[in-house]
Parts: sequence; structure tokens; C-alpha cells
Amino acid sequence: MEDYIVEMRHITKRFPGIVANDDVTVQIRRGEVYALLGENGAGKSTLMSMLFGMYEPDRGEIRIRGEKVTFRSSNDASALGIGMVHQHFKLVDNYTVAENIVLGREPMGKMLGFLPCVDMKGANRQIAELSKRFGLEVNPTDRIEDLPVSVRQRVEILKMLYREADILIFDEPTAVLTPQEIDFLLKIIGELRRGGKTIILITHKIEEIKKIADRCAILHRGKLVDVLDVASTSSQVMANMMVGRQVEFSSSKSAPHYRDTVLEVEHLTVRDANKFEVVKDVSFRIRGGEIFAIAGVSGNGQGELADAIAGMLRASGGTIRLNGADITDSSIRQRVEAGVSYIPEDRHGVGVFMDFDLSQNLALRRYYRPPFAKKGILDFDQFDGYAQRLIEEYDIRSGQGGRTSLRSMSGGNQQKAIIAREIEQHASLIIFVQPTRGLDIGAIENIHRQIIAERDKGAAVLLISLELDEIMELADTIGVIYNGQLLKIAEASTMTSHDVGKYMMGVKEA
Amino acid sequence: MKKAIDKLARALDDHRWGSLWVSLLSIFLSLVCASIILLVMGKNPLAAFQSFLQGAGFWPKASYGGGTGMLTDLFSFLNILAPMILASLSFIVGFKAGLFNIGISGQMLASGYLAISIVGYSQLNAVLAKPLVILIGVAAGGLLGVFIGFLKYKFNIHEVVSTIMVNHIINYLTGFFINTYYADPLTRTMKICGSHARLTWTNVQLAGVKCNVPLGLALALLAAFAVKFIFDKTVFGFELRAVGQNPTCARYTGIRVGSRIMASMMLSGMLAGLAGVTYYCGCYNTIVPKVLPDLGYDAIAVALLGNSSPIGAIFAAILISIFQTGSNYMSSSMGVAKEIASLITGILLLFSACGGFFRLMARRRLDRAADEAAPPASESGKEGAPHAG
Repeated sequence: MEDYIVEMRHITKRFPGIVANDDVTVQIRRGEVYALLGENGAGKSTLMSMLFGMYEPDRGEIRIRGEKVTFRSSNDASALGIGMVHQHFKLVDNYTVAENIVLGREPMGKMLGFLPCVDMKGANRQIAELSKRFGLEVNPTDRIEDLPVSVRQRVEILKMLYREADILIFDEPTAVLTPQEIDFLLKIIGELRRGGKTIILITHKIEEIKKIADRCAILHRGKLVDVLDVASTSSQVMANMMVGRQVEFSSSKSAPHYRDTVLEVEHLTVRDANKFEVVKDVSFRIRGGEIFAIAGVSGNGQGELADAIAGMLRASGGTIRLNGADITDSSIRQRVEAGVSYIPEDRHGVGVFMDFDLSQNLALRRYYRPPFAKKGILDFDQFDGYAQRLIEEYDIRSGQGGRTSLRSMSGGNQQKAIIAREIEQHASLIIFVQPTRGLDIGAIENIHRQIIAERDKGAAVLLISLELDEIMELADTIGVIYNGQLLKIAEASTMTSHDVGKYMMGVKEA
Repeated sequence: MKKAIDKLARALDDHRWGSLWVSLLSIFLSLVCASIILLVMGKNPLAAFQSFLQGAGFWPKASYGGGTGMLTDLFSFLNILAPMILASLSFIVGFKAGLFNIGISGQMLASGYLAISIVGYSQLNAVLAKPLVILIGVAAGGLLGVFIGFLKYKFNIHEVVSTIMVNHIINYLTGFFINTYYADPLTRTMKICGSHARLTWTNVQLAGVKCNVPLGLALALLAAFAVKFIFDKTVFGFELRAVGQNPTCARYTGIRVGSRIMASMMLSGMLAGLAGVTYYCGCYNTIVPKVLPDLGYDAIAVALLGNSSPIGAIFAAILISIFQTGSNYMSSSMGVAKEIASLITGILLLFSACGGFFRLMARRRLDRAADEAAPPASESGKEGAPHAG
């Protein structure tokens, strides 16, 4: 019998309506980097949440260092040296790095020889040491709110190290990072492995696995497909196993045929609710038949830029022109009717009414006009007919056709519905914000094809995405946004993803 | 037993009729609770419930006073029913648009006060006076509603806070004016409203007994169907529901959210105003100063029990009005304090507010049953059926 530090045997976990893990067995050796590869919804995170004590498996057993264990909460898992870096960081914003790390396990000292107090100096020293040992480059006295995402992630790593975890779980750690930051993180992971830690990496990015992992378990729809030796397996094979069929790595995209300018943004400035300038003096134009992609790290003003063009936020300065007409002060509905379609980032919060049925959600842009409404009275037969057509044309899967409640549909199909609704406007400008976030590869391919098709029909497309791959694949022109400013606008063919990554970090000249 | 629970769970989970079953279950549970309380007090719950029905004119009493009969009781029940339905419609209109109008009491009081003080003491003939009373009720309630909506839209003041404040302001303001100008020296209530201005025809001879026939009931039923039509069939109602469900998405859709919030509060206020005039110038003919009508709060229970549907509210209003009108007779015949009626209403509100919880429990139970019925996942073949993503 081999020396497995973690064994999860025949794990089955059900949630209402789905089997998230179906008889999955993984065995992880001490000191290896073990990757869990799978599409969204394949059950990777669920499996690891059970290892971290957040859920209990319905069936199967978990062994840590050969001992059978049952976790009642993540505290039990922490006690056994298991640590997890979640996708969403759990940090107190207005505390320092060190305060966050020691929280719940503070080193105690004695003030004046008898008053118990937290020994922050000692904590700072200890954390600086840890940071240095693993090459994390974190300053323990910085405040979290002043730190970029990549550093916050490293604070999470330090938190695990401080608690002397030796089994480290990373849940999609690179989703929020630029290429340079990803390289740095992979280096840190290599460092941790050298320090004797066992690392479990949840990801759907194959290149990272190729770079760092020793072995890789592939999950597909809750089932374990295979466990592979990374060094001796090609990326193509892994991708096919992950999706369960043949995947094409790049979508075919013809050369663009530019037409007249559709959108012209000049010196646009937008303030948020706190009167803080989040978009600063941004100017660009998009021609018909062009995909203009805005790259940038999350929170640099790209969301507000899209909202301002769509009318959800007021511009505090500058002008927005659509087909030559000034729409800076137009209402949202006027913009829609003038030809602006908008696929928002927050699907559930903005894009759809979760408790309305599909037919009503599909008609949101036209319910008030004939033939859907005559003299203020709605005609639901028209809703049904329209929904039926869109369901067929856009392959929206829903249990009860147009009468399906949006809430009961999967995320991918909800997004299909939004995209169908917006594309059917045949608008001259279509704004896509994070159109493929959280979707699986099949759905992503499909949406990319639709974006390109709309461009080829002559629409101006504004694509805002945090996924650099997506931008490199689709864009005709790339604008990089940093701290509310467009630092660089260039033909996509003249930039590599590394160039874009540098601008994303705020470097002015590559 | 297990079978019965499974059946109940399926009924609660039903897409179309589930909400009706939830309401019925809430009623059943409240009656069980009330029975336990009555038993503890040493009373027979069945006799108590019967006396509620007797008091509300649904069951013959042992004896009646001169010139009155079961029909008299039934009509006095209908007199309470009308404002109850209108007030709960008022709540529903706000609730569907995401607004919690607990200012119904104040809006009722204001419109009732204005109607009595303007029309109630005038010399107008009945044909003019009655429509004028209705008009004043609608206008006063509507204006108060718009004011609340405006505060929310313009200054982002939550309607619960502003309606509570306004309730108190109206309560003391009308109290002051009644005590200063309109107080009846004997009863210390507002001088009674002339019968020309009342929305109830008093002492009508029907089947040999005296009855008070409420005009308000026709208004209430009409309003219920109008509200149903607005929400089910019109662009305006669709937009109100959209705003209620997700204001951000409504804005994204292009709906002017602020104007819809004001419109929904106006409509809600108008219905509350109608409830006010049918209550003060119909069911009753006077106002006790510095007392907010409980009916404005009971209406919330009615609306929730009726699953915030206008037609459901009619039936829920019937049930709760039976307890309210029957409480006097029940109290005298059973020797139980009449506050037991409010207690039952309260318990009903509690259970109907748990509707979502009941449905969740039902869903869980069905899921578990489905899991147990399905063969173990590991044996379902290597490929297996694809599950929802």
C-alpha cells in the first residue's frame, strides 16, 4: 500500500435534483501537486468542500494519513492540517495582513508582565518570516483594502501556512489573475511543494496543469473519468476527457469588414455612488463589424463603462454618440430603441427576473409594444409564440417551454435566453459583459460563435471580459482599462497576451 | 400516517394549486392552535367555533332580539367584510410592487375623517353625497400614497418607516380636530355622519328583519377583479410586478422605477382610502379620536393568507371577518374574552407567513423520497443520464 496522505473513496454527494459526485475515488500522495480538472458543474468544488468539512458525503469515506475521519465542520479539517483558498477570499478589509492571518489564533503576550494581549509584533515577525521562506512577498503590516487581488490571494495562502496546514486546496486560484500573476502563483506553488506540502489544485485551465501538476483527476458530470500522469498526457487528450467529446481549441474567425462608426465615446467620465470617479476621460469608437474588447483586471471601471453606455449609470462628463446621435442623456428605453443591446455581467441581479417565466423574460425589451401589448393590455399568446421561436432558434433548454420559470433553468440556458433576447433586437451596438462567466466549454464555444456572427452581420460589439483568452480570441481591437483609464487601444493582431497583461497591471509602455 | 404526509407534501409542492393548499394548511394549523388554547381554558373549541359562526350570521342563534334575525348578523358581517377586502387589496397592490404599506390604517383614518367632516354634516342629497364620499376617500388615500412613494423615490426613505410616522401624524392630527371641532359632548367620539353620506343603507327591511346593506361590498368585489385584471393583463401591472421582483432588472428593462413606485403607492393609498370610507361612513358612522383602526393591520394577515392574490384575499377576508364579527357573540355566549379573535388572527398571520417554509419542507421531503426510490447512483451505468448543469 502506497503512502496516501488523502484518500476519498467512493464518495457520492447529492443535492436536490442533481448528483454532484457519483462514486468518486481520489488518492493523493504526500508532497505532490494533484489537479482536479473539470468543467463548471463537474463536481470539483463539491468534492473538495467535503474534504474541507463544509459538506458531509452521502456515501463513501475520507481517510487522512490513513485514518478514517468524519468532519462536522471545517474546523475539524483545519485541525488535521487541511487548508483551503476559496474563490472568494475571506478577509477583513480594514485589518492588516497580519491581523487577518492570526485572527482566531492570536499569539498571546503579557502587557506590563501580567495583562494578556495580542502579541502583534511577534505575529508580524513570524509572518514576515513565513512570507520570505516561500517567496510570497507579502508585507504583514499592509491593510487588506489597499492590496490588489493577487496579494490578497497570497494572504490567504499565508493564513493556511500560519495554521501549519500541509494539505493545501486551491479553488480556481488563477481565475482572477493576469498572466504575470499566474506565473508568479505557479512559482509559489512549486515553492510550497518543495517545502513538503501536498497541494490540490481545482481548475478548468489545462495549461496550468501542464505547467505545475504531477497528476490530474478528470471529472465529468460528477463522475471520475480518469486519473492521468500529467507529464505523459497531451493537452488535447485532457480537454477531450474533460468535455466528454472532441473540442476545437480556437473558433474560426474571418477577417473583419469594418463599416461606419457606430459608437463614439468621447472624454467619458463616470462617478459611482460615492462620487468617486471610476471611469476617467475615456475615449474610443467602435465601427460596425468590429469587436472592440476591453481587457482589464476586475474593478478597474469596465463594468461602470458598460453601464454608462447602456444608461444604467449617468455620465458625469463627456459624450456618447450612437450612429451620430448624442445619447448621453437619453433614458435606458430610448437607448434600447435607438439600438443598444446589453448583456450585463450580473445575470441574476440585472439580466432576468428569476420568478418570471421564460416567455416574459424573453420579451422584456418589447412587451410594451404591439403585437405584445395593445392599448396597454398584454397579449400572452404573442409572448408564447415569440418564446417558442426563440427557444428553437437559440436552442434554449427549458422544462416547460415558454412557461418555465427562469429559476428552474440552468445558468447556461439562462444566459442563452438573455443573449437571444438581446440579439433579437438587431441592435447596431451590442454590449457583452463577461458573457461566458461560469459556463462550460460547450456553452462558451456557442456564445463565441454568436458574438462573431453578430459582428459579421455588421453590428458593433463591445466585449468586456476578465478572461484574457476570450479577449485574445475574439477581439479585432483591444482596449486595456486600468484604474478607470484606457491605457492602450490597439489592433488585436499587434498585441500578445503578455503585452495586454502588462497594460492590465498599469504599465504604460510595454 | 406517512402516506398522508406524502400526499400533503405533493399537494403543497403542486405548481398550480400549491399556494391554495398552503393557505388551507395554515388555517387548519391555526384552528388546531386555537382549539388547544380554548381547551386549556376549559372551553369546548367546537362550541366556540360554532358561536363565531353564529355571531357572523352563518349559523342560527338560539334567540334573536326584536326585528332582527340571522340575516341581520350576516349583513353586519358583510359590512366589515367590505373594508377588509379593500384594505387587503391595498396591501396587495403595494406588496406586488415590493412595497410594504403598513400605513393603511392611517390612510383609512384620514379619508374617513375628511369624508365625514366635509360631506357627513352637509345638506347634500344622497345621490350627490355618496359619490362625493367615495371620491374624497380615493383622493385622500391616493395623495397620501403618492406622498409615501415620493419620499421613497426622492429621498430613499423606506416606506415602512414613513408610513408608521404618517400613521401617528394622522392619528393625532385627526384626533385634535375631532376633539376641538366635531366631538359629540356625550360620547366623546366624532359627531355622527348623516345617513345621506353613508355607504351603507341602514335598517332596510329584508325577509322581515332589519338589515344594514353595504354599498361598499359591491365596490370591494369590483376592486378585487379590477386589481386582478391590472396585474394579470396590463402593461402597467406587469411593470409593477417587475419593479417588485427586482428593481435593478426593471430599470435595465427600461421601466421608470421611481414613477412605478409612486404609482403603486398611489393605487394602494386609493384602495386604503376606499376602505376608510366604507369603514367609517359605512360600517360605522363615527370616528373614535386617536384610535387607528385594527382592520388596517388585519388586512396584512388577510393579504398574506390569500397568497397576495386579489381573489384569494376575498376568501381570506371572509374567514378573518367571521372571527372579528363573531367575537362579540362568542365572548358573551362562551364567557371567553373576545380578544381570542385577535389571537386567532395573529396565529393565522404567523402560519401564513411560514408558507415558504412549508413548501420548502415539502420539496425536501419529495426530494428525499425521490432519492430513496432511485437506484444507487453507482449502479446506474457508467455513462449515466446527464443531470442538469
